[in-house]
Amino acid sequence: MNEPLEIRDLDGTGMSALRRLILTLADSKRMMGIRYSDWLLGAPSIEAGIAVSAMAQDEWGHARLLYAMLKDVGLDPLEVEHERPGEDYASVGALDEPFDHWAGLVAAMTVVDEAISVALLGFSRGSYEAARTRVPKMLAEEEFHASLAKAWYRRLADSSHKARTLLHDSTECLLPPVLAWLGADDASARAMVVSGVTESGESMTEVLRERLRDLTALVEVNIDRAQPNSGWDEDRARGPGRPDEEAIERVRGDRNRALLVE
Amino acid sequence: MARRETAGLARGMTMPAVLTKTPLIDAGLPGRISTHKSGGRDRWTDPLKEVPVDRIGATWAALDEVLDPELPISLVELGLVYGVELIDEIARVQVTFTSTACPCMEFIREDVKDRLEIEPWIRKVEIIEVWDPPWTTERVTSAGRTKLGRLGVGI
Repeated sequence: MNEPLEIRDLDGTGMSALRRLILTLADSKRMMGIRYSDWLLGAPSIEAGIAVSAMAQDEWGHARLLYAMLKDVGLDPLEVEHERPGEDYASVGALDEPFDHWAGLVAAMTVVDEAISVALLGFSRGSYEAARTRVPKMLAEEEFHASLAKAWYRRLADSSHKARTLLHDSTECLLPPVLAWLGADDASARAMVVSGVTESGESMTEVLRERLRDLTALVEVNIDRAQPNSGWDEDRARGPGRPDEEAIERVRGDRNRALLVE
Repeated sequence: MARRETAGLARGMTMPAVLTKTPLIDAGLPGRISTHKSGGRDRWTDPLKEVPVDRIGATWAALDEVLDPELPISLVELGLVYGVELIDEIARVQVTFTSTACPCMEFIREDVKDRLEIEPWIRKVEIIEVWDPPWTTERVTSAGRTKLGRLGVGI
């Protein structure tokens, strides 16, 4: 295991890179929760709605713990959570828009949620103490998400032609932005690898491919052929686009701002 | 120099049985329950009149009266209290939660503070939120398991 990271030893570049890494994870968690919450009332069954409700709750709990790490790098978590415009979100682009159908959400819980877990696993194995101590609990909770995702993925893959087609198309659509996000290899990402804070995008991408290979093959998606999309913006730590405005208003709690209690 | 006492509860251990306190028993519950912020109805004993010799043990005993807001067993029995440290009259309590998004986090923090701060050897309570090791049902004490079992809750 790496020696514990001393935050005070980070230079400006290292500090900025750690800040960015935390934000990419926290913002993605927050948006994953929003996408689950979109389906609280629209899932195919009451049980599925309750399941996504629980998963949304988990994602926001994880986001809360991750945002709290920002104190270590000189940011105010409250301000980050409740004040930023959508343009500033470093979330994985696959979550920018709500999903039109349940198959889209199943593909997201399988591909996107798993990719975030792989990124968290790399973070938890690194030298940053807060990640080492907080992330294992998140990953333990994520095991339930992964189980449900696989069950639904197999169920849809084994059902109607329409379901398989929707799942296939959704998976193919989600993989490029997910691979760009997880496999980012810009200067900031490399700085975190060199510092031992996390693992390389290349190795984490391989872990994701390994985990999903058999599953996506059920709908004839060859994950080894999938490629990251272009347009990675190093300054924004994300690909093109931004989360939809309505989602960001919900994330920030705009409607009930006056009732914000911390 | 600050007086420092510390004790954690290792997995499988039971709370040190150093104190026997008589719960207030009446038709209802102690009057101060009405101000219990979580709305819970924990059966809290009166604060000790004198500072005990074993302040750490007494602090654990007090914590064992704070019930989880959702289950009728204490935070100690549920395995959520990872350690207690006393520095002079400040109690530092290491607490974890069953899940990262536990909706009762704030209630639990308030209940711990409210319960401990009535004792004469504690002036202030600091809650230290910990996640390592992650809580699992393995951390529920045998006493907690027995109580849950009586209620038909299997873990």
